Amino acid sequence: MAPARDLRPTPTDGYPTVTSCLQASTEQILLTHLPQSLQSGDPSQNVPVVLQRNLHLPYLLRNLRQGLPQQYTGQDASQAWLMYWTFQAFSCLGVGMDGKTKQKAREKVLAMQHGDGGFGGGPGQAPHLLATYAAVSALAIVGEPGPGGGWDDIDRKKMYDFFMSVKQPDGSFLVCHHGEVDVRGLYCLLAVATMLNLLTPELLEGVPEFIASCQTYEGGFGNASFPDWAFSNDGHDPTAPRPVLGEAHGGYTFCALGSWILLQPYIRTHYKSPSAVAPVIDRAPPTINLRSLLRWLTHMQGTGIELGGFKGRTNKLVDGCYSWWVGGCFPLVDALLGEGAPTTHDTVTPVENTQASTEDNEWHDIDDTLFNREALQEYVLFAGQHPAGGLRDKPPKIPDSYHTLYCLAGLSAAQHRVVPDQSRKDDLIQSWDAGAAQKIAVTAGSVDEQGRADILRRESFAEALCWLEDEGADKFVGGSANRVNATQPLFNLTVTHTGMIMAHFYQQKVPSRVPKATPKST
Amino acid sequence: MSAEFEDVLLYAERPEWRDIVPVPQYQGVDALAPINYSPEYQDATDYFRGIIRTGETSERVLALTWDIIKMNPAHYSAWQYRYKTLVTLGEDLAAELHMMDDFAVANMKSYQVWHHRRLLLTALRSLDAARAELAFIARVLQADAKNYHTWSYRQWLLAHFNDDEAGWLWAGERSWVEDLLEKDVRNNSAWHHRFFVVWASGVRKGDEDREAVCRRELAFAKEKIALAPNNPSAWNYLRGVMEQTKTRLAELATFVQLYAVSGASAPPEVMDLDNPVPTEGAQLPSVNALEFLADIYEEEGGDKIPKAVEIWKSLANEHDPMRKKYWEYRIREALQTASA
Repeated sequence: MAPARDLRPTPTDGYPTVTSCLQASTEQILLTHLPQSLQSGDPSQNVPVVLQRNLHLPYLLRNLRQGLPQQYTGQDASQAWLMYWTFQAFSCLGVGMDGKTKQKAREKVLAMQHGDGGFGGGPGQAPHLLATYAAVSALAIVGEPGPGGGWDDIDRKKMYDFFMSVKQPDGSFLVCHHGEVDVRGLYCLLAVATMLNLLTPELLEGVPEFIASCQTYEGGFGNASFPDWAFSNDGHDPTAPRPVLGEAHGGYTFCALGSWILLQPYIRTHYKSPSAVAPVIDRAPPTINLRSLLRWLTHMQGTGIELGGFKGRTNKLVDGCYSWWVGGCFPLVDALLGEGAPTTHDTVTPVENTQASTEDNEWHDIDDTLFNREALQEYVLFAGQHPAGGLRDKPPKIPDSYHTLYCLAGLSAAQHRVVPDQSRKDDLIQSWDAGAAQKIAVTAGSVDEQGRADILRRESFAEALCWLEDEGADKFVGGSANRVNATQPLFNLTVTHTGMIMAHFYQQKVPSRVPKATPKST
Repeated sequence: MSAEFEDVLLYAERPEWRDIVPVPQYQGVDALAPINYSPEYQDATDYFRGIIRTGETSERVLALTWDIIKMNPAHYSAWQYRYKTLVTLGEDLAAELHMMDDFAVANMKSYQVWHHRRLLLTALRSLDAARAELAFIARVLQADAKNYHTWSYRQWLLAHFNDDEAGWLWAGERSWVEDLLEKDVRNNSAWHHRFFVVWASGVRKGDEDREAVCRRELAFAKEKIALAPNNPSAWNYLRGVMEQTKTRLAELATFVQLYAVSGASAPPEVMDLDNPVPTEGAQLPSVNALEFLADIYEEEGGDKIPKAVEIWKSLANEHDPMRKKYWEYRIREALQTASA
């Protein structure tokens, strides 16, 4: 008989406060969503754990065909997002769209493109970095090359000009003219610029320093850092303290970390380092604290009584959307830990020597994911699913498009391991056609600058596309019937969609890929 | 959203708007997933799109954008247009700020509500306005003490109007945070704000002696940990201070050990002010204390590593099984470093 689960309530130390009371009442509600048999650990009365595709799909289709009720008026400026959330949820569920629906989708998204470049939250709305990411990502799913295909209707030159027009002296970007600065906007810009071949040294100048300044003492990232003082004459002072604004937060942390990875080719090729040839920037690159980041990320996972869902901040409640925002950080942080990270793949771990007294065979598990993948899947399946279809923050809340995608994407991050593959990267670099990529680039420069820009393009292309699913590392709570598609950790699109749109905008022939597989047992 | 009953006419029905051609949202597009807008919202946004075409900045544009914002506080284009219009017309920005007070309270989750205030405060360039704004924010946080944008805005405000010389803008921050933590010691936003005020944004007036500041902050965090030893916010702050001041974790060993033991320990015979004891209701050992203790051992290295490993194993298997993978990783990492 399996041991009873750890369902201990969060200790309140006999000192209740508003936070602990809300936490306790949430734990009580969540507990009622854990099947009795799992509470007692009695496997004889196993209940099936089912991803209710037959409910979620109609929920999404209903939104698409019949439209959204009036309370979605608050998302009138997020129409590109509503498209992306719905289409990517389809991708997770393995559902394709017919040609007619795709065409209507393209028309709707393209109606949001602004005459000055970039996309707005709806037709006629001002260009905005977030809307631009949502629109381009939606087009990655429903678009194709050629007339009417959507991709070639994107005005990349104007989009680049829009990006430069919101760039700030401290390396940050306004989300729109007269808008706020935050790392969401930056992530959206970098993801789009990577997909559409718009990365240039000019665009990226100062960005790594800005990202690094957004990490808090807790290890996660806040929404922005402080840019300038009211009474200085010349604005930005690079030597002034750049305190982070806002506490460590799951959504901002995903965006900062994703940005940090997208910036690696630039950091490697432009800053002073032992490996850099002729760096342009005469200083060492900024750094982030990976150790405190990893600690913070792992501590965002709720305990057993919270069904292993993720929270977005210390001492806040679990919420299904952080299944992706925090759960989705793990492949990224794994990639940064890279070769220096201890691995259990091939070697007998030293842990076993100190572990002789227990009978815990899980030490042989080759899975080196640093969070509890099974528990996160359980949270999505038990608490995230609304009985009438769609997914949600937590019971008893109602579902919405946003939570439907981010619960499914989080489920995907917990089921699959998608990792950067060095031999894939080598293949991509091998087949790189610099001339073709340059021809479609939006900026020109001196020969010297062109050479450097080409290296940046090539490295960004290869590093974005070298992420492959490690199919030996799949884990499906409730069985493979609950499988959702793997999602590319940097963009939250499928590996296939990412490859297709990038091949188009870099004019490359992407070599066919062989699925990566790891032997299942040791 | 506040309803305004005195004027129920649609823009399409108002003679003074007859010169504007309303622009429907989708033209020639059979839009998927349409939002079922109210007739009032549809009408107002049609006219707003008409205004964007003409580029008009006028009093009536202020009224129109305000109408839209009331129906949808997330309409960033309406906010953007409103701000441009206010500046173009040379409107009284202080009046605009006050007009938005109640609206900000009612819509505090909106990004735009706070960003608009930031634009106004930036343009006003007034320390008095900044001070009044601090009081306003404090009032708003009474309704939702963890509202992210409000906190982030307060931190921007303090840094932007940093009056090094006088220091009066910042003077009340630390005691205000203490009041908030008195109300809810688990409010992580308040802890983060304390870190911002004391450590991240430069040296405040009166805080020039950094060693004294460090002692004060450690004492503060310890006292709060004693009240509720399983509060990760306080432990994270304590860690932040140690990291910031490059202090060895072992300096806190005596304190941490009091919280890493099972059950209550006998009350000490001598009152040790540096090491406050857990309160009666404390549920020990605290996972946070165990983790901290293991980190102390790891930092000391050598023959202390097995002790750290022992604690990580107890966390993985008994005290914090959800993070089993992480604790196992810590074990592997420490042992690899030790054998390297």
